[in-house]
Amino acid sequence: MKSFVLSAAIAAVTMLGTATGALAEWKPNGPIKLMIAFAAGGGADTIARAVGDELQKRHGWEIQPQQVTGGGGLKLAAAMKSEPSDGTTIGMAITESYGYNMVANPGAGITLADVTPLTTVAGFQMGVVAKTSKGWKTIDDVIAAAKAGETLRFGTMTPKLSDLAFLLSDANNLNLNIVEVKGGKAVMNGVNAGDLDLGFMAGIQAKGVASGDLVNLASALTVPLAQTPEAPLMMDRGVPFGADGYFLFAAPPGLDPAARKALTDAIIEVVSDPSTKAGGIIKKAFGGTSIIKGSDVEALLEADVKAAKELIKAAQ
Amino acid sequence: MGMAEHILLGIQAIFAGPAVLGIPLNILMVIGGLFFGIFIGATPGLAGPMAMAIALPILISIFGYEASALLPIVGFLLGIMKGATLGGAVPAILFNTPGTPDALMTTYDGYPMTQKGEARKALKAAHFASVSGDTISDIVLILCAPFLAVFVEAYLDLPEKSALIILSLTFIAAVMGTSISKGLVAIGLGLFVAFIGSGEDFYPRLSLGVDAIAGGFPIAAVVLGSLIIGEVLFAMLEARSQTQQQGKIKQIVLKVAGKLTLKDRLSLLAYILPSAFIGTVIGALPGIGSTLAATLGYSNGKRRHHLRRKEGEPAFGQGAVQGVASTEAANSAVSGANLIPVLSLGIPGNAAAIFLILAMETVDGLNPGPSVFRVPSEGINSEMVMAFGLFSLMILANLVNWLVGGQVMQLMSIMARVPRQILMPTVLLVTITSVYAQETSLYALICLLGFGLFGLFMRLTSIPILPFVIAYILGNILERTARQAFSSTGADPYFLFSSPTSILLMLSAVLIICIFTWKRHKK
Repeated sequence: MKSFVLSAAIAAVTMLGTATGALAEWKPNGPIKLMIAFAAGGGADTIARAVGDELQKRHGWEIQPQQVTGGGGLKLAAAMKSEPSDGTTIGMAITESYGYNMVANPGAGITLADVTPLTTVAGFQMGVVAKTSKGWKTIDDVIAAAKAGETLRFGTMTPKLSDLAFLLSDANNLNLNIVEVKGGKAVMNGVNAGDLDLGFMAGIQAKGVASGDLVNLASALTVPLAQTPEAPLMMDRGVPFGADGYFLFAAPPGLDPAARKALTDAIIEVVSDPSTKAGGIIKKAFGGTSIIKGSDVEALLEADVKAAKELIKAAQ
Repeated sequence: MGMAEHILLGIQAIFAGPAVLGIPLNILMVIGGLFFGIFIGATPGLAGPMAMAIALPILISIFGYEASALLPIVGFLLGIMKGATLGGAVPAILFNTPGTPDALMTTYDGYPMTQKGEARKALKAAHFASVSGDTISDIVLILCAPFLAVFVEAYLDLPEKSALIILSLTFIAAVMGTSISKGLVAIGLGLFVAFIGSGEDFYPRLSLGVDAIAGGFPIAAVVLGSLIIGEVLFAMLEARSQTQQQGKIKQIVLKVAGKLTLKDRLSLLAYILPSAFIGTVIGALPGIGSTLAATLGYSNGKRRHHLRRKEGEPAFGQGAVQGVASTEAANSAVSGANLIPVLSLGIPGNAAAIFLILAMETVDGLNPGPSVFRVPSEGINSEMVMAFGLFSLMILANLVNWLVGGQVMQLMSIMARVPRQILMPTVLLVTITSVYAQETSLYALICLLGFGLFGLFMRLTSIPILPFVIAYILGNILERTARQAFSSTGADPYFLFSSPTSILLMLSAVLIICIFTWKRHKK
């Protein structure tokens, strides 16, 4: 009996050891550098830092956030490609950095071979938005106003979105003045201040739309917007491309598979938990997470590159 | 929600957040800043903006970038700004050494009063005048900034906003420094450095293929390097060229005889109020600064005193308490009003405002500019709540200053005895540590020292440093606004002349150059 208890105890300890061993299979061999492609203090930066804090809390990894902004995420891509691929460097950018921005700027020398994508965490809710006081209900009212001779200023925040605005203008024979500003908040401020008549907003408009100050005139995505599914698709108004995009966590090329799995799972665990700060923000601003990982996220980036080449060609 | 509700929320905001020893953190920070500011002001060779510059990166590394960090960080900086002007009077009165440049005029009457055994009276008068001037200026700020912002928002479109920034930069070039051409050179250099590695294009601009500067220079390194390290290096050079420090500071005994009665205080108001008005007007204009305010306040007081002086009363320059009050009220009144252009236009007018604007731009929660005071039809404008939170902290700092500022000021008199050869290396070390705390890279330190040498070069060639830093801060904002104005006018190359207002602003910029050149030429 005694020996049975002993063997059972040994077996239990061994099983426990195996189980925890599987969970804690990978450990970084030093602090993890978290590169952030967004300006310090903004919404996206807050998400990145909150993920970093939670990873540190949950796993004891030392996370060192650092801003690598500019070039639509390409500066981050360039900096990250030469970092060690042992999991001690990760970065947060948007899928557009490795799609349109990479294709539009071949001089930066970045290709998909220079990155190991980990996972997306949230998708944009990209709408074409105006102030309700303008009296427009949908994008068709904007098209009618522009055709009637009104000079309209259309705010965008990336070159890709500027191309989409140009295609909308072109397809409908309009003469929109496209104004590229810095970030979604600047578009919203411009629209509110009357410096811009309408513009793209990727989720920041949710509160204003809910209060009735702003209106989603159209969805710039390939699917309807979650908040106002009745808003027409911009794709149905002659723009054969969508502004779909995601916040993406990535790592240097050739990342060790064990590190890739551990980092991906850890990030997903944090953002999927609405009780964490990062999870809470994502739920509030984007309606919840959009997780695409592993080979799916690689396929997503490849599809984005293809679409970007077609968009650039169409906008020329 | 209307403006009244925003004001209430702003007041509530200062009590929100964690508390230390039962005192809300935001309140503790502004009081801490105030005492630290008095300490800095009372130390000859140190100045408020210097302390703000060094404190900012450290505060950011402690509190982070989120909106909740804004009130403690900016509150502390505002406290320093207020305290330093007050503290500057201490060594000016006791040891004939102005703690800050704007306290020079205070020495004219403060030190003779000390020699006559009325040091305590002079300190009390300086405290009374300084806090009165500061409070009046804050009231003007609170009343004016929201309306100016709403006016700007309603009447200025993107081309006019671009023209307004150009006008402000021109004004700063004209009023700062020894010559307009040097001011313009400084502005040009500031814009040039701001344009390195920035821009809308994917390709890094002006980086000469050097990866290290592809993202531009670290802001803290440029600003602290040129302003602080340059100053420290310059002070070291100066110290080398001077023989031993002139005369050791004498032991001063504060005689109880120097009392400031209620009657004295009331009669001083006739000097304090005009000086506070002068300081407020000068503070609201970008680029002029508190030294000129002090000079004008002093001369105005001198004229008044000359006409009304009673038999046996000392004249200005011979220990007149009115002289101390006129100077201190004017230089302190600058600090509140200089937030008017910061909050309503996003334009920093002096060195202290530079660090406030840097703090607001780095930390989330308040982007200085016309949108701060926009009243939403529904919901809350959180930026306006933050702005009123800052106003509440300023009023609170004034109250604390009224109550205990005078005592703290007297305690700090010991700081004037710290020798410069200890002070300057300490500032150097703390600045380097502070920049490293924010940037955590050796590259930032190399930039810091590089810009320190650049700052030294500018000082040696008498090119004013502040226009350089202000232009550096405004460079990217100007470019962005101008690009947007260009696009929004349908790529009109003459967008700066597209409306009567923008034409007027541009003409004013040209006129300012002409008028100031003509005036200096005449001199």
